[in-house]
Amino acid sequence: MKYILLMSGTRAGVEAYHAWPKQDIDAHMAVLHRINQDLAESGEFVATQGLAEPRDAKVVCGEKSGLPVTDGVFPESKEFLLGYWIVDVANAERAYAIAGRISAVSLNMPIEVRQFATHEDKSR
Amino acid sequence: MKYILMMNTMRAGHGVPEWLKKDLQTHIAFMMGFNKELRESGELISAEGLSFPDQAKFVRAGKDGVPITDGVFPESKEFLAGYWIVDVDSAERAYTIAAKVSAAPGPGGAPLNMPIEVRPIMSGPPPEML
Repeated sequence: MKYILLMSGTRAGVEAYHAWPKQDIDAHMAVLHRINQDLAESGEFVATQGLAEPRDAKVVCGEKSGLPVTDGVFPESKEFLLGYWIVDVANAERAYAIAGRISAVSLNMPIEVRQFATHEDKSR
Repeated sequence: MKYILMMNTMRAGHGVPEWLKKDLQTHIAFMMGFNKELRESGELISAEGLSFPDQAKFVRAGKDGVPITDGVFPESKEFLAGYWIVDVDSAERAYTIAAKVSAAPGPGGAPLNMPIEVRPIMSGPPPEML
């Protein structure tokens, strides 16, 4: 069963992270690396990505003409996806356990855990 | 340059299961054709649809790293419904692709014009962080 673990945060949160002392950021990154290695070794790792900062985000809506209309102004309260992990695990509890590990190294941030839609698999 | 195109939805706004079967079929056919085009142009890295928000959980580490799950979300929360990762020549091309999927057909075949969030993907942590 494939799950995605989504780490989200606000623009203010990202700015606070950049103000961390370098050694704290190093320690944080080292544990995240270790988690990725452990998942690779257990065969549960599918993919992970970090996204560029919220200030580079745009929202696109199609117009009647089909031309893209972009908007880069977001409300302060908006949560942005910071990064994700995709894992292939035996059950939901295992996905929650991995998310708990990531949360523990990231200020106990909440990690949203979602299963992939199964109809997508049938269409392949 | 890699970009992620994210389709977000509110819990209340995700009325997809109540659509007429015909409208759903039109929508799914559009999405499959859209993915096929991106695959053929060599720009598609991956695309996934996620399960509905009622199956989402928030996980936080408790003491000793034990996961604590919570399925209660604020009304205002946006949920990721699905995403596309594309590898394109420019931001403008990513916006054009996003606009195309934004206009996916909804009830009665009318374009949904959903907002699609477009973000560059980091190739790795900044060098000064390593």
